Amino acid sequence: MEKKDIIQSFKDSLFTGLIALALFGPIVGLRTASKGEGLFITPQWGVVFLLVGLCILGRFLINLNSARKTEITFFSKFSSKFSAITEDKAKHFAITAILFAVVFPFLPFTDRYFMDVAIMILTYIMLGWGLNIVVGLAGLLDLGYVAFYAVGAYSYALIATTFGWSFWICLPLAGVFAAFFGILLGFPVLRLRGDYLAIVTLGFGEIIRIILINWYEVTNGPDGITGIPRPSFFGLPFKRSPDEGETSFHLFFNLEYSTMHRIIFLYYLILVLALITNYFTLKIRKLPVGRAWEALREDEIACKSLGVNPTNTKLTAFAIGAMFGGFAGSFFATRQAFISPESFTFIESAIIVAIVVLGGMGSQTGVVLASIFLIGITEMFRDLEQYRMIAFGGAMVLIMVFKPKGILANRKPTILMHGDKK
Amino acid sequence: MSNLLSVENLTMKFGGLIAIDDLSFDAKNNQITSIIGPNGAGKTTVFNCLTGFYKPTNGQMFLHKEDSKISLRKYTDFKIAYVAKVARTFQNIRLFPAMSVLENLLVAQHNELMVASGYSLFGLLNLKTYRDKEQLAVDKAKYWLDIIGLTHRADDNAGDLPYGDQRKLEIVRAMCIEPRLLCLDEPAAGLNPKESAELNKLLKFIKTEKQTGILLIEHDMSVVMGISDHVVVLNYGKKIFEGTADQTKNSKEVIEAYLGVDE
Repeated sequence: MEKKDIIQSFKDSLFTGLIALALFGPIVGLRTASKGEGLFITPQWGVVFLLVGLCILGRFLINLNSARKTEITFFSKFSSKFSAITEDKAKHFAITAILFAVVFPFLPFTDRYFMDVAIMILTYIMLGWGLNIVVGLAGLLDLGYVAFYAVGAYSYALIATTFGWSFWICLPLAGVFAAFFGILLGFPVLRLRGDYLAIVTLGFGEIIRIILINWYEVTNGPDGITGIPRPSFFGLPFKRSPDEGETSFHLFFNLEYSTMHRIIFLYYLILVLALITNYFTLKIRKLPVGRAWEALREDEIACKSLGVNPTNTKLTAFAIGAMFGGFAGSFFATRQAFISPESFTFIESAIIVAIVVLGGMGSQTGVVLASIFLIGITEMFRDLEQYRMIAFGGAMVLIMVFKPKGILANRKPTILMHGDKK
Repeated sequence: MSNLLSVENLTMKFGGLIAIDDLSFDAKNNQITSIIGPNGAGKTTVFNCLTGFYKPTNGQMFLHKEDSKISLRKYTDFKIAYVAKVARTFQNIRLFPAMSVLENLLVAQHNELMVASGYSLFGLLNLKTYRDKEQLAVDKAKYWLDIIGLTHRADDNAGDLPYGDQRKLEIVRAMCIEPRLLCLDEPAAGLNPKESAELNKLLKFIKTEKQTGILLIEHDMSVVMGISDHVVVLNYGKKIFEGTADQTKNSKEVIEAYLGVDE
């Protein structure tokens, strides 16, 4: 390597250090501490210099590495490993993953915490699959998907607390309500595309949240709805001491009472709901309406010239996507037993969109990988408290750098003329 | 030969600009009618009016059926292709590039397949009636792919095809809706002489075998003169000449419009 290169990469890493200093200086360097009667600033310059030093060193090493122009670097190895995951291998992966998901609650290391994380990941997978219909297939960038999640959750909560109907009746109702809201959103945005559509859907998400906060008489405003009934195992509730004339789950099956029963049941419930979403999407993609969605994503004008009705096509995409959001919402409500507008902020929409985009638009397996990656990593770093969001951002950056089209960007045709050759 | 399309006093204004000025012409069944003219003469605007993308300021367009006629003005948007059965291709190719060749041809049969799939219900239940209909649609796609010689690439992405094949695919995709009138906007643009010759063959086949009237915008005179039964020449939105290919070649007005007037 030439001397010029070294000087160049040294300059570059100093510049990186400058950026790092500007970022870490205020974020890490100035820590507020409350002492007695007020807030005081405790500087931590040592940590800042350590971080800046690490950035400079890291950048310098990367520069040296790329200057050597060797083909096999750490990063390219990492990236090629990811590209090895093709849609064909994804099939084996899917079967393994489903088997693993089925036995997961009974693995020796699985405890309450793991179950909670798994349920959360599965909820996001289901939301991702639902949104995949709208964003991945129909190509309509929806930044307000959480609105349908909220509609599903609130319809379940309100119906269940008011009329006392069971989960299994409320679930389809919540889906219908959410689908109705999907159509409601769909109508005004029919003519919009791309950025403009994103802005309006973003606004729609906020409108729903703000209505939930302010419509106190119905939604109980920011206080939320409490005491949402838990689902029962085909009529058998998960209670330690059931009411008069009722048999609870553990008594019926002669088991020792454990709170894990309910958690495991919820886990299987969301697993089944998510798999139904997946199965439905895979099926409908191969039907005329699914192909029309994809065609609409590719070229709307060409669609019109072939007699495809863009209005109906878009509205069905919005409605079906919203319906699955609604199902996930009612699951969320029954799991938490408490919901408030706080749970349905924009960041939720952003995470779901991130999962779909990073997973590879339209790829079902990609959504699973992205959910595990994004939600899992963020959970793994929970001990770091507020810094765990750095892990979330870092995971996003990693995917965007190495797989700019998403983890799995391969699309398989919905129908083959010559059969599967490969 | 009976009339297929009659355009009467068609006028299209964009603000102060008159793109088409009182244009009238007829196109006949089983004939290729070409619209030619220098750049900016308003040819594509005529197409956009016919296929419902623009609403003309004035004038009528009629599509003749056996003994009745329907006004194309009544139909906008997708209904032109769906109800009136007027298909078109675009100057800059508009395929669905990330979908396979076969899928492109199936989207063109969307409306029949939608009914066959019981608006997705039968399809989700995987009923035999739907599967049979889908097989018919695939057979139809295969029929057209055989004609343009692209059957072996049916499962490849449309965007990966060579340019000339994309042009041909777009034409047969339009044919999959079984149109009564096919409007082609510069199908020979960017084709080499061999591909142009193949295109001529394809268009002649459609004209004679499929009993479809073709309306053609084209700059490539080897295509226009080789296959046109009737030529309409536009300049600045006005019709300056109408006649057979030979008559057009020798027309003083047409030569002046293209080459300018001698001082």
